[in-house]
Formats: sequence, structure tokens, C-alpha cells
Amino acid sequence: MAPRPAMSHSSAFLLRSPSSSSSSAAASAGGGPDADGAAYALLVLNQRLPRFAHLLWDRAQVRVCADGGANRVFDGMPELFPGEDPDEVRRRYKPDVIKGDLDSIRPEVKEYYSNMGTKIVDESHDQDTTDLHKCVTFITENLDIPNKSNLCILALGALGGRFDHEMGNINVLHTFPNNKIILLSDDCLIFLLPRTHTHNIQIERSIEGPHCGLIPIGAPSGTTTTTGLKWNLDNTSMSFGGLISTSNIVKDESVTITSDSDLIWTISLRDHS
Amino acid sequence: MPLPTMAHSSSSFLLLPASSPPPPADASAAYAVVVLNQRLPRFAPLLWDRAQLRVCADGGANRVFDGMPELLPGEDPDQVRMRYKPDVIKGDMDSIRPEVKEYYSNLGAEIVDESHDQDTTDLHKCVSFITRNPPGSEKSNLYILVLGALGGRFDHEMGNINVLYRFSNIRIVLLSDDCSIFLLPKTHSHEIHIERSIEGPHCGLIPMGSPSASTTTTGLRWNLDNTSMSYGGLISTSNIVEEETVRITSDSDLIWTISLRN
Repeated sequence: MAPRPAMSHSSAFLLRSPSSSSSSAAASAGGGPDADGAAYALLVLNQRLPRFAHLLWDRAQVRVCADGGANRVFDGMPELFPGEDPDEVRRRYKPDVIKGDLDSIRPEVKEYYSNMGTKIVDESHDQDTTDLHKCVTFITENLDIPNKSNLCILALGALGGRFDHEMGNINVLHTFPNNKIILLSDDCLIFLLPRTHTHNIQIERSIEGPHCGLIPIGAPSGTTTTTGLKWNLDNTSMSFGGLISTSNIVKDESVTITSDSDLIWTISLRDHS
Repeated sequence: MPLPTMAHSSSSFLLLPASSPPPPADASAAYAVVVLNQRLPRFAPLLWDRAQLRVCADGGANRVFDGMPELLPGEDPDQVRMRYKPDVIKGDMDSIRPEVKEYYSNLGAEIVDESHDQDTTDLHKCVSFITRNPPGSEKSNLYILVLGALGGRFDHEMGNINVLYRFSNIRIVLLSDDCSIFLLPKTHSHEIHIERSIEGPHCGLIPMGSPSASTTTTGLRWNLDNTSMSYGGLISTSNIVEEETVRITSDSDLIWTISLRN
């Protein structure tokens, strides 16, 4: 088999940026791409915001709410800044776009952001694709983002909640294997490791780990090999009904993974205090 | 060759009250409840009352200790805790608070301390325990109802779902405030009785672990007809139950999920 190209992954976007005090000003102006050349789009779905939502918001160049995700930003951002005036916080954390059926967004929330210049993209209900799918399509096709070729989509509110929603969201990762899409919650993050590549994951130990896993969610893996984990796989088969790698532990600063099958990588997030 | 039929009326355990006889299909049902380490869903007392065996996996005991009085706010917390006492607390004991362990130990709960085993999850250990010590009689239809297995850390959730695959001959239902899920083994064609007062309308069929070349359903708004399903292709999510009985036949193991009403 021809050697596969390598793909690198890093969660550096979760680190508090050195200029975090000035980043909010940069954020409202839609600050430029990171030093690593990555451009970030933040997507908020309809679940309670994780505690680090404001950090990702500051880091992103564009922020999209999927329908009821706008309610979560409206209610949740002031809660992350309890000492500050809620309206000030809401102005600072204003979505660029709100997209979806608009059957979950509260009318007053829609009006509030519309008055502040947020673009509202109303659309007919399409049973074939989830909110996440529609937003990924929208972000990759329509939005004008600098450095789009190095775009990473960070999605909040895609895990937990209704199980079919969660699975539909994970299916979006498999449907767009060429896009970097990361699903985050308070507890963990997940992303796809396409079988077309060998993978090198840089572990940011101050914010993630030690618990991790590799999940053959769509199809069994005949052979997967890893380095950097406490229980490495060595040409090991994985499948539902058999072995899947859960409650593993990251040991090294980088983890490598090669597999004959698409895998979902997951790592726990440390408490951000 | 036609597959044998498996009937599911798993939501019967969610119907009030525990004192009334279960529906005829489940006249011989025996229930075990397993509580894992996440916040209790609002119907936890109901399931607890219905069950004949209650097992907490480690930190699940904290959740029962804290959560049951919260769900029954009009009552004295100690009264509630005595009424909702686990039969067994099992696991590494590295999450359970010492005072909680002592409290339930003093009340007679069996504490099963065990060495940390990386090959099996807490849920796997509890299911093994329950199969070796089943509630009810030999003829009972055993249902294992699990709280706290969904959401939270993703690898835990996936490990818990894998338990459904590894014990595919046992009826195990994972429940949260939002939904329930259980396995539909490919060895059977399935009839799911929908309790519309408590579940639905949103449902899904998920080919977890391997693609399905052919699945056929009746009773859904968007039925499958010899349809292929796979990650990267179609999976059935945000479907709607239309009829009182949903029928499913597939060449592959599927996860069925249905939303729970408020």
C-alpha cells in the first residue's frame, strides 16, 4: 500500500491566547488567522454553552449560531462573565450569522441580534441534513474567511442531548472528511481521523487529557497502530461487539495513529479554572 | 429464511404507577436498575420503584445520595435516602465519597470492591454481576435499565454502547432525560410498541459499528425500504414515529433511539 500522507492535529486553539485582554477588541473586528495559519469558525448548536465558549469565540474569525444556539449565546455568555453588564457582554459576543429553520430561536433574541447587524439566514426545513451539516456547508461555501484553506470548524453543543442528534452530528464528520471539524463539550472533544492519512496529534497537556479513546464508529477496523498511549494498539482489530479503545491514557506529548478505517479520536478536557 | 421476531415494549417501565400490573407482554418482566456517575434523570425514582434490583456503579452512589432527595423535594432527605437505598455498589470505589459509602454500607448495601480492570467498563462489570445474580425468577424477562450512560465523556458513552453489543442477548436500555436507546440485533426482526404518552415522536436508527446494506421499516414517517445505511452516508436521525408499532428488519445490528417526552 502506498504510504499515506500525514495529517497533524493540535488543540492549541483552546489555550488562552497571550493577548487575551486585547483579543476581545480583535474579536469584534474579526481578528486575523492564528500564528499557525489556521482560521477558525465557531458554530453554536442548541445546548448549554461549555465554560470555555468565550475563549473559542475570541479565537474564531467567524461565529455562526444554528437556530436555538442563538438563545444559548444570548443567555449563556453573560453567565460566563457574571461581574459584567449583560448587554455589554452580548454586544461583545454577537454572532455573525444565525442560520436554520428559526423555529427554536426566541423572537426577542432574533430581533436583538438582527438589530445589531447579525445576518439571519432563514431556510426551509430539510429532513436530509442536520443543522450542523447545513452550517458546515454554509461556512465552507459561502463565508468569506481569510486563510479558508486552513479552516477548522469548532462546534459547540453537538454532543450529549438527544442521541439521534449526536449521531447525526458525528455523521457530519464522516460526510466531510476533508474538513477539520471538532465537536467540543465541557467534558471532551472529538474529531475524525480519516483512514486516508496517518495522524499526528499534539497533546496540549495543560488543557486536555489524560483520558482518550479511539472509536471505530462506522465500520470495524482490521488494523490500527498507535504510539504515545498507555495502551497502544499494535496492528490491533477494533469493532463494536469486540474491542474499542476507551478510557485510554495519553502518555507522550504527541500521539500517532494509523488505521485501515475511519476512527473517531476523543480526549477529555481538563477543568478550566 | 424468516427471522424470529423480538418484541419491545421497553417503555412500559416508565408508565406510572409502579404498583399497577405491567402490560401483558411484560407480565414476567424483572427489572434491574444500574446508576452510573452522572446526574439522575427526573424519572429515576419511578424506575427505582419498578426495579427488583438496584446497582450503583461507584460514583453512581453519590448521584443517588444527592439526587433522590432533590427529585422528591417535599420529603425528608434521610427518609428518601433510606427508601432509595442501593442493593449493591460496585466498582473501583475511587469516585464514591467516603461518607456516602459508609452511609449505604450501614444501611445494608452490599459493597463490591474490585481491582481496576482496563478491559471492561463499569457498566460491563455491573451487567456481568446482574446476569450472575438476576432478579426475579428463572422464567423472568430480564431488563437492565441504565441511568447515566449517555452524555458526559464521549469515550465512556461509546464504551457503554459497546456493552449493548457485547451482551446482545440481554435487554439493556440506556436512558437519559432526553431519550432512550437499545440494541436491535440482526438475528431478529423487531416490533417496537410505542408508548406515545411518554416517548416520541423523534426517533432514529443508527448502524453503529458497521454499515447496513439493507434495512426495512414500517411505522415511521420516513420508512426505510431495503435501504443502505452507513456513517458517511445515510443514517436515520430526526425520524418520526407515526404508528403505535414500529417494525424493523436489518442485515446489521442497529441502535434504536427514541426521544422521551417531558
